[in-house]
Amino acid sequence: MTDRPDDVPRPPEKDAGAEPAISLRGLTKTFGDFTAVDGIDLDVPRGQIFGFLGPNGSGKTTTIRMLTGTLRPRAGTARVLGVDVVRHPDRVKRRIGYMSQKFALFEDMTVDENLRFYAGVYDLPAERFAAQREYVLRMADLVGREDELTRNLSVGWRQRLALGAATIHSPELLFLDEPTSGVDPVARRQFWDLLYDLASRGVTLFVTTHYMDEAAHCNRLAFIYRGRIIADGSPSEIRSEHMDQRILDISTPDVDAVLPWLEAADDVQEAYLSGASLHAVVAADSPLTPAALTGRLAAAGFARPDVVEVPATIEDVFVNLVARHR
Amino acid sequence: MSGKRIRLLIWKEFTQLRRDPLLIRLLLVMPVAQLILFGYVVAVDIRNLATAVVDLDRTVTSRKLEAAFSGSGYFTITQTPRTEDDLRPLLDRGTVKVALVIPEGTQDRLTRGETAPIGIIVDGSDSQISAVGSGYASQIVAQFNADRREASGVAIEAPGIDARVRVMFNPTLDPVNTMIPGLIAAIMMISLMVIMSQAVVKERESGTLEQMFVTPIKATEYLIGKLTPYAALATAQMLLVAAGGLFWFRVPFNGSVWVVLVGLTLFMFTCIGLGLLVSLVSRTRHQAQQAVMFIMIPTMVLSGFIFPIQSMPAIIQPLTNLIPLTFALQVLRGAFVKGSDFAALAVPMLALVGFGVVIFGASIVATRRRIAE
Repeated sequence: MTDRPDDVPRPPEKDAGAEPAISLRGLTKTFGDFTAVDGIDLDVPRGQIFGFLGPNGSGKTTTIRMLTGTLRPRAGTARVLGVDVVRHPDRVKRRIGYMSQKFALFEDMTVDENLRFYAGVYDLPAERFAAQREYVLRMADLVGREDELTRNLSVGWRQRLALGAATIHSPELLFLDEPTSGVDPVARRQFWDLLYDLASRGVTLFVTTHYMDEAAHCNRLAFIYRGRIIADGSPSEIRSEHMDQRILDISTPDVDAVLPWLEAADDVQEAYLSGASLHAVVAADSPLTPAALTGRLAAAGFARPDVVEVPATIEDVFVNLVARHR
Repeated sequence: MSGKRIRLLIWKEFTQLRRDPLLIRLLLVMPVAQLILFGYVVAVDIRNLATAVVDLDRTVTSRKLEAAFSGSGYFTITQTPRTEDDLRPLLDRGTVKVALVIPEGTQDRLTRGETAPIGIIVDGSDSQISAVGSGYASQIVAQFNADRREASGVAIEAPGIDARVRVMFNPTLDPVNTMIPGLIAAIMMISLMVIMSQAVVKERESGTLEQMFVTPIKATEYLIGKLTPYAALATAQMLLVAAGGLFWFRVPFNGSVWVVLVGLTLFMFTCIGLGLLVSLVSRTRHQAQQAVMFIMIPTMVLSGFIFPIQSMPAIIQPLTNLIPLTFALQVLRGAFVKGSDFAALAVPMLALVGFGVVIFGASIVATRRRIAE
């Protein structure tokens, strides 16, 4: 049983003195010989959108599963909403929500039945359920479609319904594990609007993603790579602390040929695809200018290279961090 | 533990079951189909075997012999070819299963007190028909000889064919009487293992399992909520098979209902345990299906469900003790056919307790650990 009935709304705690929503010290998880999460320390303040970034297999999901009390860490402490989640996972379960990339709706049940089930699981009183149901149906744009099987909904609707089901008990902290993977850009945008709305009501959001553009939506970020946190802070802090190089953006029809050329070039530290163009990372004090690079590319026989210097994006920072830790 | 959450989980399970019309049909059709299959096909009542008679003697005796065959009810004379050469294609095509050849001069030989050989040809491609058919034929000939001896008072030393062969079992009743009690246990095993493991694996595939354990639902509540509906379904199926067996096939029930219920309950724990273990080792529903096949094939072959254990090679026989269904069949067949009580069935009952404790216990421990991981 939990120590607190879930129907008492808790006001968002925004004062700086409040305990962080999540506080991890030396959190470690091993599977056999493989260390999935390697002694991470992390503090997530309340009421923020916290982005937990990393490539696939870097330990994001394992960390979330330890934080939601479904996986026991090998070592270290994890406090979630002030509760030691390793020792008392049940005390925190009513206060947190979780949404995975699978959306985890019962596909052979209707919209209404799904909501009813999750409301029942959290023991929501009838009048509170009625209000929450109303809210979720409007939020997910499913008014009038209550009796439709969720299997028949398209992805965007399913995703919003899953969010509604995961937050039907008004959690203080919501974990979202790659909630936008496989969703089209328009639906992703709408979904982020819903997350902002939740955050504005004081809910702390812990979001994992490998979409680097989504990192820009977050108040704070942490990068996890091979089970270790390699950077953490606000997006601008991360950019200034971890990126002292310059980025040259190269637009060329010859991407496949130019990339190996750049990788082989002495004064280019790193080269990779970024959207449709290529990014070359050069040292801050490198004399290489866009014009000079254009000239060298033209001399090497590449047609119409178009080089400009661009400010580093979060993706650039991340690629460089990974390169440095490899 | 919360009764409310368990009820919610059971409601959820039944709601999902209701949405699967194919599964519901399968759950009802499977026991009925198996009843028909095992009741009529496997344990077929061998009667009215299509028979050809080649009467080359054409005498009173030969006609009497024919009448003895057709009057027995086991043979129906459908063809009367003129020569033995005409007979061969009838047997080849399977038009007749049995042929009776009465050579010319049979009556004369018998009158002279000689041995009169007659030919009985049985289609050996079906071992059951050939065994049963030749058995009946021998009995009919023996009876014919005895009648003749009595009527004429003539001493005949070795008339007709050897009449000492007798049918030692009753093929018209025995198979169905042991098959249907066995079917009750087999249906329970298939239902619980296949359908429950599919349901658990489906939940893992869709991510709802993971989702539920982030909520206040406890592992024990989840397990009870999952097992109850499937145990209820399996019970309904068993009742259907039992009713079909008792009222349609008129299988006699000589034993105690309590023996049957205790035996089935013990066996149910084993089946649930196997279903859970299958769901633990399977990532996808397809894998679960393969795993179930892996268990069901040796179970069906080695338990004595279809093939009698006594007729298996001596080195194979000890293996049958590793199959839980073996003991469930002993309990059910013992109770149905022989009316055995608890004392007589102590060994299989204890074996079922042992399997239940080990398999069900291991599956619960493993499932809880897996859920916790």
